[in-house]
Amino acid sequence: MTEQGHDHRDADGHAGHSHDPLEMGAALRVRALEELMIAKGLVDPEALDSVVEYYEREVGPRNGAAVVARAWTDPAFKVWLLEDGTEAIHSMGFTGYQGEHMHVVENTDLVHNVIVCTLCSCYPWPVLGLPPAWYKSAAYRSRVVREPRAVLAEFGLEIPVSTEVRVWDSTAEIRYMVLPQRPAGTENMSSRELADLVTRNGMIGTARV
Amino acid sequence: MDGIHDLGGMHGFGPIPIKQGEYVFKADWERRSFALAQALAGPTPFVADQHRQEIERLDAIDYLSMDYFEKWAVATGELLKQAGLVSQEELDTGEKKFDIDGAAHPPTSSAALVGGMKQGAQLAHPAGTEGVRFAPGQPVRVLSNCPTGHTRAPRYVRSRVGSVALVRGVFQFADAVAAGRGPAPEPCYTVAFAARALWGKDAESDDVIYCDLWESYLEPA
Repeated sequence: MTEQGHDHRDADGHAGHSHDPLEMGAALRVRALEELMIAKGLVDPEALDSVVEYYEREVGPRNGAAVVARAWTDPAFKVWLLEDGTEAIHSMGFTGYQGEHMHVVENTDLVHNVIVCTLCSCYPWPVLGLPPAWYKSAAYRSRVVREPRAVLAEFGLEIPVSTEVRVWDSTAEIRYMVLPQRPAGTENMSSRELADLVTRNGMIGTARV
Repeated sequence: MDGIHDLGGMHGFGPIPIKQGEYVFKADWERRSFALAQALAGPTPFVADQHRQEIERLDAIDYLSMDYFEKWAVATGELLKQAGLVSQEELDTGEKKFDIDGAAHPPTSSAALVGGMKQGAQLAHPAGTEGVRFAPGQPVRVLSNCPTGHTRAPRYVRSRVGSVALVRGVFQFADAVAAGRGPAPEPCYTVAFAARALWGKDAESDDVIYCDLWESYLEPA
């Protein structure tokens, strides 16, 4: 939670005081909704803070990176992860909303995977946190299914013709995560060191690791 | 519905906004909008498919021009109105005009809300006696019709032939859940579409696009 989290609310949560005239449109709409909901007793203000804190502090791509690092160092776990991503990921404690059913897809020299949700912004929250703005953009959602190689090139990723690109559009309840290729020269690294190499975009498929 | 939200394959949106788009929240009001949607899902009540449907119902020009989390706030407000918990005037002003039955719509506590987020939703169901209609490798065509409500068969695969890659089991059916008829569980499949089957000679290469599609969307090909 940022410091400015509560400065707009009266101590007792009542609505109706004057608004900052510089804060317009969307911000005003959300403020009105929040004040109204508190006045009606439909939300607990502390619960609003809790859910934001949960997604900003506890859930994020570090979770997914731990999964990837373990798969890189534990062959039996990797087999399990690719066969039953849901159970393997849940076994590490990364459970919850938007991660109930997980499928992990492996990048190799022959296959490069990338994930999208063309209809909205479905994304595997328990392992990657909430999606970055570009993942929700009209440009990414419209183009990555039609010209994935051009989109990946914009991320600086040139995919050889000999590599098949697989695009996974999250149109139902399954959420996807990419298992990137382990970089060369990392044979002596610990799981923790390996996890530090793994990026969010690497697990979406818009970057190599 | 055949709406602006169904963006897959459309032209005209320009480069990916990578540099500007690494953030998750760019302002505190976005955090509040996200949290309000999560916190109100219990007492209103509503589920994700209903919230998505309200976002899809925005005017196309609003859909493309509004901030992502402003759309979330509008959708949350619409669901509150449908539940009779707020009026449009209240949403416009932020000032309460009538009280609600608090006992019937108790707020979700911090512990219950975060606990629920960690636990996840119940989306899958045991396979029914009706069985599963399609098998791995089987060619299937996505039906060409599109209902006016929420649906999860994207426009770019409608009428196209793919092959069943994976049988996923039985899930609640998004169309029925959004329409208030849910869960109406049915089998769901991951269907592989050759890029050339979708985009013809414009396809970049022999790539593959996978979509997860409920049985109602498919017919044998």
